[in-house]
Amino acid sequence: MIKYFANVFNNSRAIVQGHWITLKYMFKPAVTIHYPDEKLVPFEKFRGALLFDQQVCISCNLCVKACPSNCIQLENAKNETGKKIAKVEWYSIDFGKCNFCRLCEEACPTKPKSVWHSLDYEVIFVKRDEMVRCWKKDFPFVGKYFDRKTQDFMDAEGQVSIHDVQPRRS
Amino acid sequence: MSNALMQTHDASTMAGLKTDQLFINLGPQHPSTHGVLRIGLTIEGEVIVKAVPDIGYLHRGTEKLSEVRNYHHCVVLTDRWDYVSAMPNNLVFCLAAEKLAGVKTTPRADALRVIMCEMNRIASHLLFFGTYGIDLGAYTPFLYAFREREMVLDLFEMLCGARLTYNYIRLGGVMVDASPEWLKRTSEFLEYFKPRLDEYDTLLTYNPIFMARTKGIGIVSAAEAKDWALSGPNLRGSGVNYDVRKFAPYSGYENYDFEVPLGKDGSCWDRYFCRVSEMRQSVRIVSQAIAKLPEGPFQASGFAKVPKPIAGESYANVEASRGDLGIYLASDGGISPYRMHVHAPSFINLAMLQDKLVGMKVSDVIALLGSIDIVLGEVDR
Ligand code: SF4
Ligand code: SF4
Repeated sequence: MIKYFANVFNNSRAIVQGHWITLKYMFKPAVTIHYPDEKLVPFEKFRGALLFDQQVCISCNLCVKACPSNCIQLENAKNETGKKIAKVEWYSIDFGKCNFCRLCEEACPTKPKSVWHSLDYEVIFVKRDEMVRCWKKDFPFVGKYFDRKTQDFMDAEGQVSIHDVQPRRS
Repeated sequence: MSNALMQTHDASTMAGLKTDQLFINLGPQHPSTHGVLRIGLTIEGEVIVKAVPDIGYLHRGTEKLSEVRNYHHCVVLTDRWDYVSAMPNNLVFCLAAEKLAGVKTTPRADALRVIMCEMNRIASHLLFFGTYGIDLGAYTPFLYAFREREMVLDLFEMLCGARLTYNYIRLGGVMVDASPEWLKRTSEFLEYFKPRLDEYDTLLTYNPIFMARTKGIGIVSAAEAKDWALSGPNLRGSGVNYDVRKFAPYSGYENYDFEVPLGKDGSCWDRYFCRVSEMRQSVRIVSQAIAKLPEGPFQASGFAKVPKPIAGESYANVEASRGDLGIYLASDGGISPYRMHVHAPSFINLAMLQDKLVGMKVSDVIALLGSIDIVLGEVDR
């Protein structure tokens, strides 16, 4: 009998103690973020979706070699006489394979980096085609994708950009 | 009905009853299996007569993939084994590759590696603490555990840019140096975290309802634990004092003062308690490491862009969050490993299930499964 009441007492005490801790935090400000309305800004080093600058790239192939999953492809541009020049004709990253590992950014020798991680964590793809981003002359940093249906380059609409101006790292 | 089973029932009520055996699938999609694990359970009434864990749903073949990638690329693959605590994975591969290539790391890199691994142990055990509570019907501790886990992940994000797949520990050192700002924030977190651990004890560890559901359940004796080659908190929960950090120190663990928490009888509660106590020890290690962080370069020189170790073999093991994580590397002198084999603690700890589940009640399956804390990414690789 005593054991029974001791048991009841112990359990009730544990419940009260548990509630006491919860109560302590009830009046403190919440630590959660209401996601689509409020958005966290990641730290400066965050490895988000990759951006690419066609103007700066010298087409050195180092990022292609550094990538562990072969997601980068590029083709050298040629001048009128057919000689290769240090510019890319097109450059593409397959986000379906990308590990977000920063090895390409580290390997890139240009200053500022031609390929770099943005702070964008909302990369959304609705179609398979969208996963392969392509950059050509005068394409924006986020690139475009080649839609096989319309046989044309489309803007990456699926990508909801968190930061209108993408921070650029040196 | 087997004779052994009859004894577990009340013989008088069961004598005239004819019960059918029933086969049920636990998983692959089950909120309590923490990944894609299927356990084929044959039950009789409420008692399990046979349990067959079925793995392989998450097999990505990283061991094979490593044979066509160079050593820097392989570090990226290691992140994907135990994705809840990826730092020790990075570390063990780097240790093995550094042994092969004969490169010594710098003292600062070693200290940073220790800090990151221990912080990752805290994050990983917090996940265990939260989800184990959920498995047994206590939702609140989960929210508190994730609040703190989020802070650890924020610290990781601040330093290396990723929250789960870090790729931070590199061959010969680490990716970036820790700034004074980061170290300050980490110390602040540790100060904040210490009293939280006492709250966890009140919320879950010494809660009578939780203790009733875990104490004396799923007892693994020390002899059994050794026979099944368990490691990590599962082994120490049975009272076997084995910790790679103490027995074969790596990355300068011999310079830190910490204890190895041990359980008594190897029940689910003991394994749980070992993990919670390990968090306290991790806090101790990190504070010591920050206090005496040596100056100097964070990356050893002498590692080529595409390293080509001489032909040979090496083995390295570390105490990861889930146990003794080992890696065997064989090189034929080329740019990629000739063969890589992972000694994954989760895989070995999981094997115990088929034996231990027999004779238990269905409601205790989750208590045992949760307490051995497996990560399926590491089981299947
Ligand atoms: S982040 Fe890693 S996986 Fe992605 S493109 Fe760069 S190197 Fe390749
Ligand atoms: S992005 Fe950088 S590394 Fe890649 S080809 Fe251009 S300049 Fe070279």
